[in-house]
Amino acid sequence: MNILIVGAGQVGYFLCERLSLEGHEVTLIDRDQEHLNAAQDRLNVLGILGNGASAETMEQAGIKEADIIMAVTDLDEVNILVCLLAREYGVGKRIARVKSIDYLSRGAVLSKDKLGIDLMINPDDAVADELANLAARAGTFDVAEFVNGQIQFLGYRISEDSPLCDLTLKELGEIRGMYRFVVVAITRYGHTIIPRGDDTIQVGDSIFIFAHKEELPAIQYLLQIKEEKRRGARRAFILGGGRIGLRVALNLEERGFNVRLIERDQERCEKLSAKLKKTMVIHAEGTDIRALLDEGVADADVFIAVTENDETNILCSLLCKHHGTKRTLCLVNRPEFLDLAPSLGVDACVSPRLSAASAILKFARRGNVISLATIEGSNSEVLEIEVKAGSTIVNTPLKNLHFPRGAIIGAIVHKQGYEIPDGESSLKTGDRVLIFALPEALAKVERFFE
Amino acid sequence: MNITLTLRILGALLLFLAIALLVPVPCSWFYRDGAASAFIFSSFISAVCGGALYSLFRSETDLSVREGFAVVTFGWTLFALFGALPFVFSGAIPSYLDAFFETMSGFTTTGSTILIDIEALPPSILLWRSLTQWLGGMGIIVLSLAILPMLGVGGMQLFKAEVPGPTADRLKPRIQDTAKLLWGVYVLLTGAEVLLLMAGGMSFFDGVNHAFTTMATGGFSTRNASVAAYGSAYIDWVITIFMFLAGVNFSLHYLALRGKIGDFIRNEEFLFYTGLIMVGTTLVVLLNMGSTYPDFFDNLRFSAFQVVSIMTTTGFGTADYELWPVLCQYLLIFSMFIGGCAGSTGGGMKVARILLLCKHAQVQVFRLIHPRAVRLVKFGGRPVDKDVMQSILGFFALYLGVFVVASFIMAGVGMDIPSAGASVIATLSNIGPGLGSVGPVDNFAHVPAFGKLVLAFCMLLGRLELFTVLVLVFPSFWRK
Repeated sequence: MNILIVGAGQVGYFLCERLSLEGHEVTLIDRDQEHLNAAQDRLNVLGILGNGASAETMEQAGIKEADIIMAVTDLDEVNILVCLLAREYGVGKRIARVKSIDYLSRGAVLSKDKLGIDLMINPDDAVADELANLAARAGTFDVAEFVNGQIQFLGYRISEDSPLCDLTLKELGEIRGMYRFVVVAITRYGHTIIPRGDDTIQVGDSIFIFAHKEELPAIQYLLQIKEEKRRGARRAFILGGGRIGLRVALNLEERGFNVRLIERDQERCEKLSAKLKKTMVIHAEGTDIRALLDEGVADADVFIAVTENDETNILCSLLCKHHGTKRTLCLVNRPEFLDLAPSLGVDACVSPRLSAASAILKFARRGNVISLATIEGSNSEVLEIEVKAGSTIVNTPLKNLHFPRGAIIGAIVHKQGYEIPDGESSLKTGDRVLIFALPEALAKVERFFE
Repeated sequence: MNITLTLRILGALLLFLAIALLVPVPCSWFYRDGAASAFIFSSFISAVCGGALYSLFRSETDLSVREGFAVVTFGWTLFALFGALPFVFSGAIPSYLDAFFETMSGFTTTGSTILIDIEALPPSILLWRSLTQWLGGMGIIVLSLAILPMLGVGGMQLFKAEVPGPTADRLKPRIQDTAKLLWGVYVLLTGAEVLLLMAGGMSFFDGVNHAFTTMATGGFSTRNASVAAYGSAYIDWVITIFMFLAGVNFSLHYLALRGKIGDFIRNEEFLFYTGLIMVGTTLVVLLNMGSTYPDFFDNLRFSAFQVVSIMTTTGFGTADYELWPVLCQYLLIFSMFIGGCAGSTGGGMKVARILLLCKHAQVQVFRLIHPRAVRLVKFGGRPVDKDVMQSILGFFALYLGVFVVASFIMAGVGMDIPSAGASVIATLSNIGPGLGSVGPVDNFAHVPAFGKLVLAFCMLLGRLELFTVLVLVFPSFWRK
């Protein structure tokens, strides 16, 4: 596919990296030569210097042959103009990163249909939803739902007292007994592998599993992650009352959390208070631990730090963890910091830019991929693919098919029920297949199902 | 420096060479020249070494700038080391050092030879000589990029390290596609030349060989007297035109094939290159008038051929320019430094660099007169990046530096003054023949062993444009 990406910021760079690795023809347009060089030297993409909203630049970049355009600069207006331009040139899919509520809200005068944009993505909203999902699921640091929420993809960190420590997957299979789930990947020291039977699970690993949602309580029990039966609702603290904080608060309110939102600006506090129904808005500094302790942060279920400052977020999360908060989630803008999360003791770090980029990838993916999730700290992806009618892979046991290396089928959802596959399983038309794939195998997996 | 990754890729390149070494085998069977076993054996050795490197070393990391330099430099060295084997095994060149010199001269498209009687060699060996030039012309690494998927990631590092010129053009977003297009154009032009040469009465075998070495601006011939052996004005002109085309940036050829012929006229480097060749030819024609060639058309034919051949760094000969007036020889020596366009198969310092140097000098003088004026060096209507300009100045200084040092060494091993200088520039600019004892009708057989090594190194330096090779000399390159 021929893809144009306008804006060589973090979102743009991440998209370039992923899409070029998958073998697409990627052209990157930016006004800054240094940003372009950084991408061009490290990635297999072509850089064009110029303004993405100028027809001349875009013709030079080959807009006439482009299949998808992704406008991800920092400026809403530029992104919108790029998409308008792309519509004139007949580019099939147009994606814009837009933060202003003026364009995003439901009653917007200039709606995305009028602007000819297929997907408007706001990094802040994308990350807020991700944070709320994580907060609602105890023990996990990565969650994605597939097949209307039936199948869940979960990431767990293995701590010293985990019962899974030092077990091989074969042994796990034996004690697993009636529980049906499959460990599809292990991440160790930032390196992700697809494990075999004799690989062991070690302290500090992150494991990724697929499971049906009915199995979740059993799995939580096996992993000894107790969803404590408490009287009253679960308690969440949110630090930072910006747009993300507000959205997380609204989302958690809806899920029945008892939410406290900490914001240091008096006026902003008042505004927040007006918008939120049940959430208690607290006027305090994030590092003012005494104020937080007074509000009971010590036995809160989850602390979510979403200020604009990465360092504040990380430090405040650590501080709360130190004082006894069960889980801390942390917003990090700089992707370099993302990998730090496990070693620091923060339960999960998320980045608005990566969340936006995964949402864009999900949309842009061609063919029969229905849904997809990107995995924190690695370039692997989870794909949900529907088996098309007339496909040659139908009704053959999996062991006889040459399934690509570097990818594994985690679950198959038939019309009636689901199945955690083994070598004897076979695919039928209309099945939804969930696949975990390392980056180099992505393209092969897609071809496999074509 | 990730040495495991470097060794693994070098292994893959050797496997690739093993395949290339099998190409002359059918030719050998056809002519029954008895050299087939030499090729098969050489191919086997490269395959074993390459396979061992490839399978013993595994690495998950991506190629970075440093590995790019190392892979390209050592890749070319390995190609010359292993590509020399058939010459030795077949007995065509008994000394391994000589064979190495000849192969390095081939891959780098220099065209300097140590062979005295070329026509006595088996045809398959001659084909291999031409093939080394053809593969080296557009670039072995670029070809591997087009063919081997494993080089995709980080391929830009390799591409930049091998493609000649101050900056590397990309025709397509993906480097593999760019590499495929460049090779496509190269193959197309080579095919066209084969047909045109055969139309002029060359045999198929000679046609292929000469087309290979013309398009690569290499200059190996299958005849002792080089192109002069055919004595045909038609063949001379066909080769002149194709040498000229081979010295042009191949991106331009691609655009022209896509119908954008106007790009030729808009391209500053191309215009300057054409201008230089026209002026050079005119001067040489004027100087040769009357004394050397009484007939005007003969004069034009020989002068144009020699000027284009030297300027594009091909090095074919139809006339012994050492018999021409001294000023003509002087002109030719200077055009040796210039070479072809960036992104062409030609060697030398590249027309783009010379053009930018001239402009830079002009701006410097202008600034002395108007100290407060702001004036930028522009190329193709766009201001030139300061980094690019600095790297060109550095390149120029290094080029002259290497020339001086290597000339000293050549004089040190006992060559006379004109031959010492000319042998260095002829190899450094990848031309082939020089002046004096290494002139167009002589060869390099008499150069002492150490001198041959130095010249072979000059060829490598010239083909990979100094930086790629010289960074390896710095100790900090090897440190973590």
